[in-house]
Amino acid sequence: MTLQDIKPGEYCVISNIKSNNLRKRIIDMGIIIGTKVYVKKTAPLGDPMEIIVRGYSLTLRKAEARTIHVERIDE
Amino acid sequence: MNIALIGNPNAGKTTLFNQLTGSNQSVGNWPGVTVEKKLGKLKSKVLPADIVDLPGIYSLSTISLEEEIASNYIMNREMDLIINIVDASSLERNLFLTYQLLDSNIPIIIALNGMDIIDKNEEKIDYHTLSEELGVPVVPISASKKIGIDELIHKVEIYDILKTRKSVHYNKEIEAVIAKFNYYINDRFLSIRFFEDGLDALIHTEVNETDQPKLIKLYNNVKSNFKLDMDMILPDARYNKIMSLIGKTYERNDLIKETTTDKIDKILTNKYLGLPLFGLVMFTVFFLAFGPLGTFITEQFVWLIDQFFIFIINGVDSLGMSPYISSLITKGIFGGLTAVVGFLPQLMILFFAMALLEDSGYMSRAAFIMDRALRRFGLSGKSFIPMLIGFGCSVPAITATRTLDKDEDRKITSMIIPFVSCGAKAPIYGVFAGALFANGSYIIVFSMYLIGLMVAILSAILFKKTIFKSASANYIMELPQYRKPTVKNTWLHTWGRSKDFLIKAGTILLASFIIIWFLSYFGIVNGQFKLLTDDQISQSFLGHIGRAILPIFRPIGFNDWRSTVAILSGFVAKESVVGTLGILYGVTGDVVENGSALFPAIQSAFTPLQAYAFMVFALLAIPCIAAVSALKRELNSTKWFVFILSYEMIVAYLAALAIYQIGSRDLGSILSIVFTALVIIFVLLMIKKLVKQKGSACASCDGCSPTSGCGLPEYEEYKESKEKEKQNHEN
Repeated sequence: MTLQDIKPGEYCVISNIKSNNLRKRIIDMGIIIGTKVYVKKTAPLGDPMEIIVRGYSLTLRKAEARTIHVERIDE
Repeated sequence: MNIALIGNPNAGKTTLFNQLTGSNQSVGNWPGVTVEKKLGKLKSKVLPADIVDLPGIYSLSTISLEEEIASNYIMNREMDLIINIVDASSLERNLFLTYQLLDSNIPIIIALNGMDIIDKNEEKIDYHTLSEELGVPVVPISASKKIGIDELIHKVEIYDILKTRKSVHYNKEIEAVIAKFNYYINDRFLSIRFFEDGLDALIHTEVNETDQPKLIKLYNNVKSNFKLDMDMILPDARYNKIMSLIGKTYERNDLIKETTTDKIDKILTNKYLGLPLFGLVMFTVFFLAFGPLGTFITEQFVWLIDQFFIFIINGVDSLGMSPYISSLITKGIFGGLTAVVGFLPQLMILFFAMALLEDSGYMSRAAFIMDRALRRFGLSGKSFIPMLIGFGCSVPAITATRTLDKDEDRKITSMIIPFVSCGAKAPIYGVFAGALFANGSYIIVFSMYLIGLMVAILSAILFKKTIFKSASANYIMELPQYRKPTVKNTWLHTWGRSKDFLIKAGTILLASFIIIWFLSYFGIVNGQFKLLTDDQISQSFLGHIGRAILPIFRPIGFNDWRSTVAILSGFVAKESVVGTLGILYGVTGDVVENGSALFPAIQSAFTPLQAYAFMVFALLAIPCIAAVSALKRELNSTKWFVFILSYEMIVAYLAALAIYQIGSRDLGSILSIVFTALVIIFVLLMIKKLVKQKGSACASCDGCSPTSGCGLPEYEEYKESKEKEKQNHEN
C-alpha cells in the first residue's frame, strides 16, 4: 500500500520510500521509516495532497506519494 | 564581521532581516541567476557587521538553484556567524536544519521565532534547556511583534566566535563511518555531508583523484553495515535527537484541536470553494491595478510628472539653447523618464497586493490549488498571477515573476509573458478590426487575445520539454500557518522591488529612449543632416530603416514602408503604433483616443488578410522597450535575453507568415498545406518516439538517486552526468 491509497482523514505509518527525484527531500522533511502521517485532504483538482507530518502541513504530488510505502493504522 | 541569516522558508526570516537591519539594506541578485540577494548592516552601535539574507532552506541537501546558493554558502563557510531562525510553531522540522548547521561548527545563535504565538496558545518552550542541550545561545523572539530583537543583537555583540564548541555526536556505528570518511576528506562537516549527499558533497572537499575511487568504494562497502539506506541514516539519527530534545523542552497544549489556519483552510482550499475563491482573489488583484483605481492613480501621477516637466521645458526654452539640446531634453530624456515613472503606480499596487498574498501565506495555497492545472505547461501555481497581470501590462508582470520560487519558473514565466496581449496593444486591434471587420470585429479582437495566450502556453510547453527538462518536475511544498502581514514588511517588500525596477530597468529604458529619439528625429534631408519636426518622420533614420527592411516583411503581407515604420515605433511603446500610422497617413487629431479617423486610410492600404497578419505580428513580435528592459533585468543573463528576443521575432514572423500565406491561397491549396503539415507533424512525432526509446536504456528501473540504495557510481561517471545536466540547463 502506498501513501496515495490513504484516504483523507486516515492515518498511516511509513514503511519504505522508493527512489525518486525528491527522495532525499522527503526524508529531510521528516518522512522516515516509522513516521506517523495524517492525510488531510487533496487539492480541489484531485492532486496534490496535503498531509500532516511532525506537526506541520506538507503537500506533495501523487506521483511522489506513490513511491512512499505505508501501513494504514487506526488512530 | 559577516553574518548569515539562515532558516526554513516561512520561518519569518525576511521579517527578522528587516528588524535587524532597518532600512539599511540593499536588494540585488546572486551572480548569474534570478535569485534575489539581500544585504544589510546590523543595527548595532558597537559591532560593525554585514548581514546576508540567504534563501530559505529545509536542508543542506538541495533540490533547487536558490537552495544551492544557501547551501554552498554554508559548505564554503563564507560567514563568521550564523543566525539560525527557528519557527517555534514547527520546532521538530526546523531543528533538523539546526542540527545540520551544528555539524559545521560555524558559530551559531538561534533566534526562536513566534514565541508570542506559543504564549497565546498557552504552550511553553524551555529555551534555557534547549540552549544547554544544543550548546549554542537561544534567544526567544517575535520578529513580527519586534520582541527580543535588541536581546538578539546584544547576543551577537557579545558572542565569542573564537570559542570552540563541542560538535554533535551520533551513535557508535555512525561515528565509525564518519571517521573512515574523514580519513580521506579531513573535515568532519564535509565527511558528514558526504555521508548524506554522496557525490554531491564531494565537489566541496579537497580529496585528490587517486583517493576518490577509494572513498566511493568505502561508501559502497559500509552501506551494508546499516539496516536503513545511507541517505536515511543521519536524518533518522537527527530526528531521534530532536524528538528527545522536544520531549524535554516543549510543553504542548493538547486542548487545541483546530488552529486558526485549519479553519481558514477549510474554506480557502475547500474542494468546491477553493477554485472560485482563487479566481476571485486573482480578479481583485487585477482589478486593483488596472481597474478604475489603478488607472486613476496612474493618470494623476503622470499628469503631475508632465506638469513638472512642462515647467522645466519652459525653463529650458527660455534659456535659448540649441534646438538639438532642447529636443534631446524634452523629447528624448523626459519622454523616457515619463515612461519609466509612469509604470510606478501600477507596479507598486501590484507589488503591494502580492506582498500581502505572500506574507499572509495565501501564495502557497494558490500553488497548491493550481498545481494540477499548470504543471503540464511547466509552470507552477504561483506563475498564474504574473501571467494574469500580463494582460494589463508586461512590465509589472515580468517584474512580478520575482515572487516565484524557482529560477526555471521565473525564466519560463517571464519569457512567455510578452506573448500575452497587454493593454497597450488593444488600440491596434481597435483600429484595424474596426476599419476592416465591421461586423465581426469583436471576434477578431478576441481571437488576438486567444492567439497570444495559446502561443504563450505552447511556448511554455516547448521550453519545458526542450530547455528546462527539470523544471517543475519537483513539487513538495509546506503550507505555512496563515500570518497577519505587517505594514512595515509589506511596505519594505513593495518599495524594495519598485526601487530596484526604477534603478535597473529604468536606466536601460532611458538610454534606449535617447537612441530611439535620435533615430526618429534626425535624418538627412536634401543631403543635409538635420533635426526633423514631428511630421517629417518619413525622412528620419527610422523611416529609412523601415524602407530598407520592407522586403523582409513582404512575405507576411506588408507592402508599404509605413507598416514597417509603425511596427518599429511599437518598440517605443505599443500605443505609438497607431499614433505613428496616424502621422504617416497624414491623419490629424488624436488617433489613439479616436481610432475611427484612421479608418479610411487603413481601408485603402490594407486588405483584411494583411491587416490580420499585421495585428498578429504586432501582438507577438518583440514587446515594447520597457518590457524588454524588464526582461533584461529579470533574466539577468545576456544569453537568455538575446535568445528570447530572437525567439519572439521568429515566432511572430512565422505566425504572420502562416496566416498570410495560407490565407491568400484558394481552398484546394489550403487543404494540401494542412495535409503536408499533418504529415510533417506525424514524422516528427515518430522520430521523437524513436529517439526516446533509444535514450532510455532501462525502462523497468526507476533510476537511482545519487544516494539511494543502489550505491554510488564512479566519480567520473557522476561528473559527466552533472556536466550534461549543467549544459542542458545552460542551453
